[in-house]
Amino acid sequence: MTPTAPADAFTPGAYAARARAWLHDNLTDALRTDRALSEPASLAERVAFEAEMHKAGLAGITWPKAYGGHGLTLREHLEANREIGRAPVPNSVNSIGKELAGPIIMAVGTPAQQAEYLPEILNMQTIWCQGFSEPGAGSDLAALRTKAEATADGWRVNGQKIWTSGASKSQRCLLLARTGSVQDRHRGLVMFAVPMDSPGVSVREIRSIDGARSFCEVFFSDVIVDEANMLGTPDEGWAAATRVLSIERATNRMYRPWRFQSELEHLVAVCRSDKAAYAVLKSHARELAEIRTEIELLKGHVETLVDSLLAGEEIGPRGSFPKFFWSEAHQRFTRLAFDIVSRFAPGVDGPLRDVQARMQEAYLSSRAETIYAGTTEIQLDIIANRILHLKKVA
Amino acid sequence: MYDDLKPADFEATALMAVEACAKAGTTAERAQLLAEAGLLGVLAPDDCGGLGLSMRFGVPIASAAGKGLLAYPLIETMVLARALAGVAPDMATALCEGSVIASIAWAGFGDDGVVGRAPLAHEAAQVLVFLADGRAVLVATDDQVSVDAAPEFDLDVPEATLRLSAPPQGIVLSAALVATLKAEAQFLRTAVVLGSVSACLGLASDYAQDRVQFGKLLSANQALRHRMSRDAVVAETLRSGLARALTAPREGAGMARDALWCWAAQAGPSVAESAIQVLGGMGFTWDVPLHRHLRRMRALAHQGAARERLDEIADAVLGSTDNEWYGDIADAR
Ligand SMILES: Cc1cc2nc3c(=O)[nH]c(=O)nc-3n(C[C@H](O)[C@H](O)[C@H](O)COP(=O)(O)OP(=O)(O)OC[C@H]3O[C@@H](n4cnc5c(N)ncnc54)[C@H](O)[C@@H]3O)c2cc1C
Repeated sequence: MTPTAPADAFTPGAYAARARAWLHDNLTDALRTDRALSEPASLAERVAFEAEMHKAGLAGITWPKAYGGHGLTLREHLEANREIGRAPVPNSVNSIGKELAGPIIMAVGTPAQQAEYLPEILNMQTIWCQGFSEPGAGSDLAALRTKAEATADGWRVNGQKIWTSGASKSQRCLLLARTGSVQDRHRGLVMFAVPMDSPGVSVREIRSIDGARSFCEVFFSDVIVDEANMLGTPDEGWAAATRVLSIERATNRMYRPWRFQSELEHLVAVCRSDKAAYAVLKSHARELAEIRTEIELLKGHVETLVDSLLAGEEIGPRGSFPKFFWSEAHQRFTRLAFDIVSRFAPGVDGPLRDVQARMQEAYLSSRAETIYAGTTEIQLDIIANRILHLKKVA
Repeated sequence: MYDDLKPADFEATALMAVEACAKAGTTAERAQLLAEAGLLGVLAPDDCGGLGLSMRFGVPIASAAGKGLLAYPLIETMVLARALAGVAPDMATALCEGSVIASIAWAGFGDDGVVGRAPLAHEAAQVLVFLADGRAVLVATDDQVSVDAAPEFDLDVPEATLRLSAPPQGIVLSAALVATLKAEAQFLRTAVVLGSVSACLGLASDYAQDRVQFGKLLSANQALRHRMSRDAVVAETLRSGLARALTAPREGAGMARDALWCWAAQAGPSVAESAIQVLGGMGFTWDVPLHRHLRRMRALAHQGAARERLDEIADAVLGSTDNEWYGDIADAR
């Protein structure tokens, strides 16, 4: 890894160039997501890479310096993310920490919690997972049953979470539980930062349609959670968290449109290297152009929300617009890309094989994109209820 | 001089003027109303009676025109007044003042003798005709041309076809001016589509929240709620796309604008179609203006050659990339 200047030496405009140069020097072949390597980078290598990314000013950009951040604005964050999207950089193994737990801790955590948790997220010492969904509580999160009871030793937690991404690799869980009964719905919800090595926590990986073992079941059996690990008070914590969640929905993985564009550029460049593959590509010219226009419009969604946030506006339910748009657009793209690479001649290798593998994987993994972070149907409900305010009764 | 003006200020003015135009009897009266509100010359420099404002100010005006189905060649007037300012200031002034009605034949080249897709050209005194070499000529619609009303698809700004008896003669616009004019029209068309989309969505949601079937409001049904939410996504995508395209840095500006327009030309009409579905039989009636919006947007799509622009985007996509991560793959086509 090359030594880097402190991030505050960056000025807007130069930020993108610095990010681009850094990625060039530091994104190794093993880390690249566009190579069908038999031996991809290990978790430890990815963690090390991300820690360096942060030092170089490509993560924690908007976080206060006191917490190890770079103290800059969403403007620089956007600039850096355009470059991250443009390059075949792996998705963060700690995006829950950086884009969910971190902002929630900044909003509702005590100074002691902020000092303890936040720097370790950016330097990658603590990987977080999100324990919200349960077998009986998916879209209807307020139906969750995991129970937290106050005891003399702290909170005793019992229950089960599911679809918890990265739980088997995490050190801490952002846990949503309830103090009362299920009938209380949104009342009495409470958030904790639970150490994953607490006695009574057990994790079982679930294999997903793409063959990965990323999401998990997490069981809590008489787990004692110290009062000091409660984030906010019951009720308040959740209310603040939902505000944060709406912003996160709008801003997380901000690099998406540029990543989608780079996936498209990868596909095209590889097809151009082979006459037969290029003929296949060309037969889909119009559909490719439509995908390209959607990518451009997704940039509009992202940049407009960044402008709103910079202007201090509340974005509330508007985060549903980009979530809905990017997830469906990317599925259209991966479906097309899958069809194209599936028509390559049998037995291709080299870059053709790489892009084939990448697009097959993308096709399958993109099926999750209209499910997680609020399904498409839930986004459409949010728009109908909270933006269009459509009545259900006269 | 106009430092304190905001684009949003124009929206309210434009909506009022467009409403007044709907009650006006003739195109000439509409020209006066629009000119008095300062809308025709918003992009033209002030020495031609314009306001010399940027496209950010043109967009809300065009959007209001779309919403209110303005029966005037507004896009054409706005971009022509700006383009003519340096070439024929008197004509630019006349356009800003509404004393001359002008149009643009968006399809065909004057070299071929027939040009088409000229909104309201049968009422225009001047029509801009493109030439195959990239330039354009503003021809008077007197003796050298005959104007056929094309089959009236767009009812509010009907298109005409022009037959030229001789090579077009008149004020000439350079290829560079023509390129700028076409780019500006692309923005304004997208804005008109946004206006129509908002109007259609408004009609659909009002109707769905009023009509009762099966003992409940139509809007109580998730199928219709989600349909309208998807239509709201279209509106928001156009809005954010316009905001971005208007401020995109030079190197990305062409793609941002053209992609937006291509998308608008497809997604806009789909919202009108969707609204017709929400209104059921009522949506299929002549009196409900949904079909007018549909017709308007479909006509605009062709005036703006959305299909051809999409083919250009396809060419750009299939071409070589400037993304250096993929620059080193050998080209073997
Ligand atoms: C890859 C992946 C990673 C995930 N990671 C995490 C994680 O780290 N932490 C975490 O807490 N959760 C995670 N989730 C869970 C995710 O948030 C839920 O899957 C999601 O909220 C949907 O819940 P569900 O799976 O129970 O589906 P359900 O809520 O049962 O929905 C099933 C179907 O019914 C539809 N539906 C539900 N309610 C309605 C309604 N009112 N109207 C119309 N249709 C409706 C849904 O849209 C969906 O199509 C992950 C999911 C995936 C796929």
